[in-house]
Amino acid sequence: MTTYEYYRIVEEVFEKYMGRPTVFVGKKITKWDEVAKVTGKALFTADFLKLYKDVVWVHSVRTKYSHALIKNIDVSEAVNVPGVIRVLTARDIPGVNDVGYVIPDQPLLAERKVRYIGDIVALIVSKDPYSASEAAEKVFVDYEPLPVYIDPEEIVDLMTIEEKAHSLIHDERGSDVVAHVKIRVGDFSKALREASVVVENKYRTPMQEHAYIEPEAALAVPEPDGGITVIASTQCPFDARRAIARVLGLTQNKVRVIAPFIGGGFGGKEDVVNEVGAKAALATYYTGRPAIALHTREESFIGHSKRHPMTAWYRHAAKKTGEIVLVEANILLDTGAYASLGPFVAWRATVHSVGPYKVPNARIDTLAVYTNTVYSGAFRGFGNPQVHFAVERQMDILAEELSMDPVELRLKNILRAGDRTIHGQLLSVGHGVGLEDCVRRVIELSNWYEKRRLYSNQNEPVKRGIGIALMWHGNSIGVEGADYSSVSIIINRDGTITFRTGLTEMGQGSLWGLVLIAAEILGVPPSYFRVEIPDTSSAPDSGPTVASRSTVMGGNATVVAAYKLKKRLSELAGSFLNCDPSDVVIEAPKVYCREDPSKEVMWREVVEEALWLGVPLQEYGFYRATRAEWHEETGTGAPYITYTFGAVVSEVAVDTETGQVWVERAYTAYDIGRVINPIGAEFHAVGGYVQGMGYALMEEVVHSKEGCVYNNNLSTYYIPTIRDAPQIAVAFIESGYRQGPLGAKGLGEPSIVAVAPSIANAVSHATGVQFTEIPLTPHRVFIELEKRKRRL
Amino acid sequence: MAEYRDYVVKLTVNGVTYIVSVKPYERLIDVLRYKLGLTSVKEGCGRGECGACVVILNGKVVPSCLTLAIRTNGAEVQTLEGLAPEGKLHAVQKALIEVHGIQCGFCIPGFAIAIKHLVDNNSNPTDEEIKEALDGYLCRCGSYSMLIEAARLTAKYVSEGRRYFDLRECLGE
Amino acid sequence: MHMPRFDVYVPQDLNDALSFLDERGEEAIPLAGGTDLLTLIRAGVVKPKILLDLWPLRKNLSYIRREGGYVRIGALTTVDEVLANYLFRDSRYLGFIDAARGLGPTFLRSIATIGGNVATGHPLSDMAILLLALKAEVKFVSRHGERRVSIDEIYLDKRKIDRRPNELIAEVAFREKPMSSSTAVLKIDRRRGHSMGYVVSASYMALEGDVITDVGIAFDSLGKPYPGRAYRTEEFLIGRRFSEDTIAESSKVLELEMTRLSDYRAPAEYRLSLSKTLLKKCLLLVSQRIKEELMHG
Ligand SMILES: Cc1cc2nc3c(=O)[nH]c(=O)nc-3n(C[C@H](O)[C@H](O)[C@H](O)COP(=O)(O)OP(=O)(O)OC[C@H]3O[C@@H](n4cnc5c(N)ncnc54)[C@H](O)[C@@H]3O)c2cc1C
Ligand code: FES
Ligand code: FES
Repeated sequence: MTTYEYYRIVEEVFEKYMGRPTVFVGKKITKWDEVAKVTGKALFTADFLKLYKDVVWVHSVRTKYSHALIKNIDVSEAVNVPGVIRVLTARDIPGVNDVGYVIPDQPLLAERKVRYIGDIVALIVSKDPYSASEAAEKVFVDYEPLPVYIDPEEIVDLMTIEEKAHSLIHDERGSDVVAHVKIRVGDFSKALREASVVVENKYRTPMQEHAYIEPEAALAVPEPDGGITVIASTQCPFDARRAIARVLGLTQNKVRVIAPFIGGGFGGKEDVVNEVGAKAALATYYTGRPAIALHTREESFIGHSKRHPMTAWYRHAAKKTGEIVLVEANILLDTGAYASLGPFVAWRATVHSVGPYKVPNARIDTLAVYTNTVYSGAFRGFGNPQVHFAVERQMDILAEELSMDPVELRLKNILRAGDRTIHGQLLSVGHGVGLEDCVRRVIELSNWYEKRRLYSNQNEPVKRGIGIALMWHGNSIGVEGADYSSVSIIINRDGTITFRTGLTEMGQGSLWGLVLIAAEILGVPPSYFRVEIPDTSSAPDSGPTVASRSTVMGGNATVVAAYKLKKRLSELAGSFLNCDPSDVVIEAPKVYCREDPSKEVMWREVVEEALWLGVPLQEYGFYRATRAEWHEETGTGAPYITYTFGAVVSEVAVDTETGQVWVERAYTAYDIGRVINPIGAEFHAVGGYVQGMGYALMEEVVHSKEGCVYNNNLSTYYIPTIRDAPQIAVAFIESGYRQGPLGAKGLGEPSIVAVAPSIANAVSHATGVQFTEIPLTPHRVFIELEKRKRRL
Repeated sequence: MAEYRDYVVKLTVNGVTYIVSVKPYERLIDVLRYKLGLTSVKEGCGRGECGACVVILNGKVVPSCLTLAIRTNGAEVQTLEGLAPEGKLHAVQKALIEVHGIQCGFCIPGFAIAIKHLVDNNSNPTDEEIKEALDGYLCRCGSYSMLIEAARLTAKYVSEGRRYFDLRECLGE
Repeated sequence: MHMPRFDVYVPQDLNDALSFLDERGEEAIPLAGGTDLLTLIRAGVVKPKILLDLWPLRKNLSYIRREGGYVRIGALTTVDEVLANYLFRDSRYLGFIDAARGLGPTFLRSIATIGGNVATGHPLSDMAILLLALKAEVKFVSRHGERRVSIDEIYLDKRKIDRRPNELIAEVAFREKPMSSSTAVLKIDRRRGHSMGYVVSASYMALEGDVITDVGIAFDSLGKPYPGRAYRTEEFLIGRRFSEDTIAESSKVLELEMTRLSDYRAPAEYRLSLSKTLLKKCLLLVSQRIKEELMHG
């Protein structure tokens, strides 16, 4: 394998900073976007509307059936509604009628059939929003209804994992199983014989909605050369550009995507933007006018991807000592009407399916299947929260069977430096495997043993419980795609710096982390930097802003760019300060020699000099992760560059009379290698917890048997409010990852993974009932408690 | 198609008086965002469920997505844009920056308005009163604990008589 | 995103509004705070020809007063105005504070009205449920006069109340309650903040010593798709000594007169159990409020 220079640079920088104090990295410094956001000046996609005139509105006419053949679409009346400019159907698409992400299975406009309640049959382009929706009622479609499937177990048998006979949703593919990912390690029949305890259970996790407060939006603007600029609320401007260009039949350089501030993404603003951006662009294509496509809240619920619901059967076997000898699982992920990122989600779920433990033998089969529900795709955690719910519940149940404390059982089995993962990947010291430190930290913070004892004997109607869950999460995208990232750093003539990347800002603060890295390496304070809004016409392709990859991948690209600039400018300054380049210290606004600080020059002068002497002041940093390795038949290899580890403890109160559960306190510890931007790290630890708590206790998109969504708004789909969020103690372990920027790893997704199981474990501890399904809504808890009462 | 008559509405927003022509079905949020360009007012749901569109109308916090524009004739409206004079930050803005409570920021206009309104009416709120005042404003990024802290800090500033801060100072420039 | 288009009639005053309704009542829909109606219009469930704007009537119809042995609340009184009114700090009426504090997100309370809450005819109408427990009466007015109807008689079906097209609700009123009495509203759901409630329960109870001399029990639903009173439970309780046993027995009576429906949010069996639990919790809270008042008075 080729070793590129950038690998060396990242490691060199890691070594230079390991254990050394930093000036900017790790410090709480006001983020670049805070003032704009707090004064109301920050522009989100829909806000740009005020800057354009003659904008046309795009309204999506959606299907009335969630599974049907389309016999005919009649738009003749709709076209005549005053205000309506055009009505577009599949036939009007100039390029390819597809907005699928992983596989081309998702038409932008339905033509032959509809597969879920969000499918779009026509677009109304109108001069105002009112006539657009009025005309929608004048689009007449003849449907031939087909059987509707909302339960993946109607498609596949969980125990045999065989596809059942049914009326195919994707008949064109010949099967409704989208993906089958496996692990086959060791000798499991032998392992079963060795075991003294076996625990098996069926688990269920719900369909979760991102519920970002900003619904999807895209504004398309015509360019004089026939190109189209699309301002869109997207996490992946380059993916959106590719998809929009394909739909319009344009080359990629004619489509420009700008991603302004994004009102929350959490994985939900990936593939849906292909659709929303294409809808706006299509209207512009046909009218030559700016066009806006805005989803209402209700449309957002039915019209974008969700977290895959999971049904899983798990079997764990262990020795008397607590050593795990075997994990077996059948995991069914419902990907809904379209694959979206489902195949990748299935893969990530499988990779992490045994939890962060040493497991000698495993048999895992994960299937992603189509149904007629709203499609599922990327959502913070990406399959991992689902399998962790099952695995971490299994660990507690196993502990109970073995009469061991849940922490002790886990400490017996966790991955430590020098261990191999289930896939055979060696976790050398350079990975920074601080899982044990995380466990010890949350145990200490929460006063675990004391509370575990205290809460074990209660007679009040409100019972308290404490639970723990551990997690691991592979960083970046592994074998899912080309895993590269890039940034450009441009030093302007006045010494200020323009920072560009195609990675987007959704509030997570990772772009600010990149600035802190660049500032640290260059020696130029963050206040000199201006972060530019991602724009495919000026920023380098940085890959998608997903998979907790911004800090690690974008960070490494930043390290590379900053390192090179620093090197060039140090050489330059050294030459006229008369000192060795390695002796040059940049501390903008000053630059001096370490040996003799009286040899000093201003940063601006160095910059000016560089222009005169022809030393380039801009640098493009590129980094591609080392190639991931995956053997499909065995599920072995090195699926991810590295893993983030963590431990979460939750304390709950359960009202046994009503079934209500409240989280009272929570403690989290994550090993993220090194904390780059502490503001952002805290956002994730806290925000991920709150979202995970919603997943554990209240969130669940429910479909009727006809495939409609019952709870398609924020009054009926519950997310946590300010009254529900608990006190959360946050700790970080910094074990240092040699191939990360200054040792850092990602935290965006990991922060949700262990939350739900820690809460469920606490509820089980409080009540003595082993829960196997979330959300733990009052009625579920109450009914299980009643069942138990009857049994006793 | 029916013709809908235009109503002339005179309203004062952030101290500036506007005369706008509105249709009966237009909402205050439509006027603020698209007629007056005050896009701090965000539409998260259009159904009174999220709080992103909340403004102060005649001294009360209202969801501008459920307020018909024709009802605002003669009204006094305040949005995030008008919390502080140019070059200054209101205590709540300063506090939000100081506690680093801003993630994606889409919910922030609603929270900022709510905190400002709370503190105007109660300069020493308890934590329970803060939660009561912010109940139902949704922050999906989950910044709630920071937002409570920001409310406490705002109250502290305001009760010390420090209502406005120099923007440059806040940035440490 | 925008509303569907509709027309609005903005009246000068109550007379004007009533004249308008006299003429066009069949096709017009009154709009109070709009927190319920506008969301239905948005969803396309209601397609109004014309709305009658009631906001101009607030000059006359937003009030809370004690008069002639009654507490009278103008239909256009907002939930915030209830919260701010000293009358509801009276321990007898703390149920109003419960109901108001639990109603929707905070910012809705500045526009949501009491009249609107009563008139929606939706089961989950917290104020209406409390007013049922208080045995309130609803005053309808039209150009031709007024009509006072006991609130438990106005509900006909889901979102359907016994209002004639030319009428408006002008007021809800209830007889002042005796000193040794109180009220409570409880609502239970998956989250603490802004919630609809699996079950909403309101109780009013008056005690003489420990004997229950008057009682009102209301729920979001007894089986019908609108809120109602648990008459048999009330009957059972009246005249008995207030005790844990009495409450336990009353919940058995409740079970006899209540049917619950399952929906995607919760199964019927849970709703029924929860209703019994809330009956108990509500009555205990009421008795506690009475006791506290007696102690601190
Ligand atoms: C996000 C959200 C949360 C909510 N949460 C709750 C909750 O927790 N608890 C609860 O009880 N409700 C809740 N509601 C429902 C609603 O807010 C209340 O019922 C409110 O009190 C309705 O009052 P309004 O003035 O807004 O009524 P409107 O919406 O204006 O009117 C409602 C109905 O009553 C009729 N009407 C109104 N006033 C009169 C009158 N004077 N005479 C005749 N007819 C009249 C209207 O024609 C309409 O049919 C919620 C609503 C939303 C949007
Ligand atoms: S947009 Fe008005 S409350 Fe959500
Ligand atoms: S900061 Fe994103 S919703 Fe609050």
